[in-house]
Formats: sequence, structure tokens, C-alpha cells
Amino acid sequence: MHSIDAVPTDRAAALLDRVRPEQGEVPAFLFSDPEIYRLEMERIFARCWLFVAHESEVPAPGDYVTRSMGEDAVIVARGEDGAIRVMLNVCRHRGMRICRADLGNSSHFRCPYHGFTYKNTGELIGVPFEKELYAGALIKDRMGLLQARVATHAGLVFATFDEGAGTLADYLGPMAWYLDLLAGRAEMEVVGPPHRHELRANWKLPAENFASDAYHTMHTHASIAEIGLTPSATWAKDGYHVAAGNGHGVMIGAPTRRFIFAEALRPVFRRRLAPEQYALLERLAHMPGTVFPNLSFLISAVTLKDRFVSHTELLQWQPKGPDRIDVHSWLLMEKEAPPEVRELSRQAFIVTFGPSGMLAQDDAENFTGITQNSRGPVARRLALNYEMGLGTAAPAAGVGPGQVLEGKYNEANARGFYRRWLELMRGRA
Amino acid sequence: MSAQGAGATGVPADVRVEVLEFLHHEAELLDDGRLDEWLELLTEDVSYAMPVRLTRERGQEPAVSAEMQFFQDDLATLRLRVRRLRTDFAWAEDPPSRTRHFVANARVAPGPTPDEVDVRCNVLVYRNRGASAASDLISGERRDRLRRVGGAWKLARRVFVPDQATLGVDNLAIFV
Repeated sequence: MHSIDAVPTDRAAALLDRVRPEQGEVPAFLFSDPEIYRLEMERIFARCWLFVAHESEVPAPGDYVTRSMGEDAVIVARGEDGAIRVMLNVCRHRGMRICRADLGNSSHFRCPYHGFTYKNTGELIGVPFEKELYAGALIKDRMGLLQARVATHAGLVFATFDEGAGTLADYLGPMAWYLDLLAGRAEMEVVGPPHRHELRANWKLPAENFASDAYHTMHTHASIAEIGLTPSATWAKDGYHVAAGNGHGVMIGAPTRRFIFAEALRPVFRRRLAPEQYALLERLAHMPGTVFPNLSFLISAVTLKDRFVSHTELLQWQPKGPDRIDVHSWLLMEKEAPPEVRELSRQAFIVTFGPSGMLAQDDAENFTGITQNSRGPVARRLALNYEMGLGTAAPAAGVGPGQVLEGKYNEANARGFYRRWLELMRGRA
Repeated sequence: MSAQGAGATGVPADVRVEVLEFLHHEAELLDDGRLDEWLELLTEDVSYAMPVRLTRERGQEPAVSAEMQFFQDDLATLRLRVRRLRTDFAWAEDPPSRTRHFVANARVAPGPTPDEVDVRCNVLVYRNRGASAASDLISGERRDRLRRVGGAWKLARRVFVPDQATLGVDNLAIFV
């Protein structure tokens, strides 16, 4: 039997041959080519472990949110048994989308088309006139919602439909250690629903930016220093550039002038983290990163209204075509955060990131401009330059796992991102 | 009509005219990019919010988030935003976009004090930028509170409830 998976055409194979991360060359057509995009959906988004929700978004039995895994719609639901399941939001009868809300609480989902009814565990429990119309050949047992494999780390829920994928722990590799700093340092919760907006850009541009690009902060975000949120335009230069395995990248801003979190939370962090992790948290000035392929995160600290405040966020770049992203951004907060810290932290998140954020606005300008340019028949052939730090970066010791390089300005993580991307696109993963 | 010209809303007709003039003047300042003058229209204690809109099943509330907002600003942060736009590095609005604020269906009701009124109106913001013919449309309802300060109306509170759960904009580098 032939596979219905997209297989690279000769043309696609030729396109992939032009992607040379080891030489610091990434061609512009990666950000707009429809064939590349189709292959990404099959070979990256249908195979990788993808972030779908934070546990606190579905705290109670029956709670659900709807999300996307690539272009596949899914329901993330907590059953009466307390387990979180991730199910394709597609009726097994005729393929109708069965849940059409962003979030809610329900014991079951009923398809609008013919009334097929599924429990929030995915089990098909009701088919109108089943006995009469299906001549006793009960179809309920074999027609449950398609279930993804689900695993969590530090409250972050990941899923994959690939039965052949390894474990989430194998997938995250060294990145798990840094995700503990991000989302495991205390019991964390999302503050309300995510911001959502449609960014007219290719999903890889923000993903590689958060994984690798501290360099842009100096110029793209120069306005932020000018209005006093950060001490200087080069505030994001010092620290470490960490290749965290499997295309993941994280950057450690260090040292900090002062502890960026609420003092009251120190004992919580010390209790929950390993000593080496706590030691890094004490020195941390900020921490952007990307879990391959499309979950980015950030711990950021700014001076707002004469007060120094940090916030922690997740950003997901949901692809909606080669040149569209349904951006989701969540604010994560320690459950035990003092109320005044919580309020200022929320304001810092909104004022700096999210669609009205004074940093996010200018990032969007770059991502959309590159995407537009990448469609030009001449521009699309350009090999864009990713060679910063090739063969010159110095390793740093005593920070954390992964390949740790001295200094944040580097493009090693972007090369790592595209190296992993290329392996998956060629089907050799 | 009562002696003061108050209609069914309990707000005198001359006040309703002043409120409409305020809204139209504010839209002009925003569309002309006269943001320093716009800041002058705000009270010292202004709150400026734009909550996240949600798609919920009928009967499951709320469909407007009480916890997360696209704007959660006060005078200090609004001033910061305007200052940033004045720097040489505010790429998202340089070149600036062209906006048109259409303000309609204004309904004026008495506020909690004699010097305040509550105003609901429908707003459509058209935004175009660069050479592209494609445009952003931001549609929503403003729930404003205006306060008379020293003889002039000022904006004391704005809640802009957007009609999109996923905003169709690359960024919100403008004001609604």
C-alpha cells in the first residue's frame, strides 16, 4: 500500500540541499515556499512533541481548551479520572469539528452534524438510532476520537500523534533542565486565557529568534532602553548561548544586578530546584528560548514605573499557512506570588509582549518584512547569513546542561534549529 | 423634555452634544497622530483596558476575559508608549500607519458622580500601512467614563471590548 504522506518531490529535495546550517546559510524561500510548508506539516508538526496547554488551563474534571497541532485541531480535556487527554477535534463519522469553543467545561462533546456524542475521554457513547441503522454492527467501540500521546514536564502539556516518537524526556533532552527554571521553579499557573493575534509571518522566524537571536535586541529594541525599561541597549549581551539538544535553544542573561523574582518566593524556588538550578536562577537577568519546533518562552525583567519587575511567558507560533501565524502568548505566574507583584508583573507582560507590547510590536515588523521579501523570485534564492560564532565561540563551564557558549550574541542555536529541521524534513530522524 | 433638556437617558442634551464632540475630537487627534494632545484628554487616574475576547458555548460565560487584557494601562504606561513612538527606533510605526477611527452609536448615561457620564459606543478602526492595499480592521465596543475636570471633559476609564477572539493585526502599536 502506498503511503499518503507528502514525499519530497525532486524540487523539494533540491530546495533542501540549499539549506546549509553548518555553513551558516539558510535560503529565504524557507519562509514562504508552499511545498516546504506542506512538508513541514507532515514531517515536523505531525511527528514532534508539540506543546498544547499548561495544566492550569484545565484544572478541574471536565475542563477543556481547543488548540492546534500544526494545522490539526485538537481538544485538550481533563477527564473525571483527572487525566489530561489530547484528541483530534474531528468526528469519526464525517469529519466535522465537534467542539467549536475556545474553552469550557463539559462531560461530553456532541457533533452538530448527526449527533454522534463522545465522552470527554474520547469514547463514542451515542449514535442516534445506532441499532436500527447500523444493523446491530455496533460501531461505537472502534470509533472513539483519535487520541494523541500525552506527556507533561513542569506543568507543560505536550502531545504527539506519532506512535514512533520517543518519550518526551528523550525529546526535551537538556532543555528539560531549563524548563524547570521557567515553569517548575514554583507551582505555576496561567493568568487567564492566552493573547491571540494573527501575525503575517512564517512560523520559523519568531521560533529561531527566541532560540538564538539576542543580537537583535540592541537595535530592534533600542527604544526600550531609551524610555528606561532596560538600563542600556546592550542589556541582553552578557550571559550564555545554550544549544539544548534536538533543535532546542535557550539563552541565559547573566549576571543580574539584582534578584529578578519576588523575594518572598526564594524559599519555594530553593525547595523545588536542584542546587545548580537555584544558583543559576539567582544570577538570572532574563531567559528567552524555543522548544523545537514552535514553543517559545521568556523570563524578562524591566523597570516599570520605578519598580523592577519580572514576568514569565509562553509564546506559541501556530502555523496557518506559509505566511500566517496564530500567535498565542500566555502569562505564567507563581501561584504564591504576592498580589502586588502579580499585578505589576501582569502589566509588564502586557506592556512589553503580547500584540500591544512595546518589544513584540517591533519584532512583528521584522518577521512580517522578512516573510514578504522571501516571496520575491530573486530574493527567495538569497542565502541569508547565519554564520555568527561559527568556529569562534568559547565554551562556558558550570552553567547547566547542553552545549553552553560564553556570551549571548551568537547564531549557533539558529544553526542548531535548522540542522534539526533539515534532519526531520529529509526524513532521517 | 425636562427643563434641562434631559431625555429618556437622564443626561441633558447639551451634555450629550459635548460628549459627541469629545469623541470626535479624540478620534481626530488619534488619526492625526497628535498623541501628546491625546494624552491631555486623559485624567491623572485614567485606566485604559482591552480585555481578551473568547469564543464560548452559548450559556457558558464569561466570553470576555476578566483576567487577561491586550491593554492594561494607566497614565504612566500610556505616556511610555507615546514616548517610545517618538524615539528613532519604533519600527512598528515608522513609517506610521494611517488610521481612521469611526465612532458611532454613542449612548450616554449618568455616571456615578454628577461630574461623570458613562458612554458606550461602537468603534471601527481602519488601519493601512505601507504600499499594501490590505488593511487591518479592529471592531469593538468602547465602555468609557468621562469626567468633567476644570470645565473640560476628560477620559477617566476606557474598556475596549474587541469583536475578535484572535486579533487580525500584526501588532497593536496604535490606540483604540
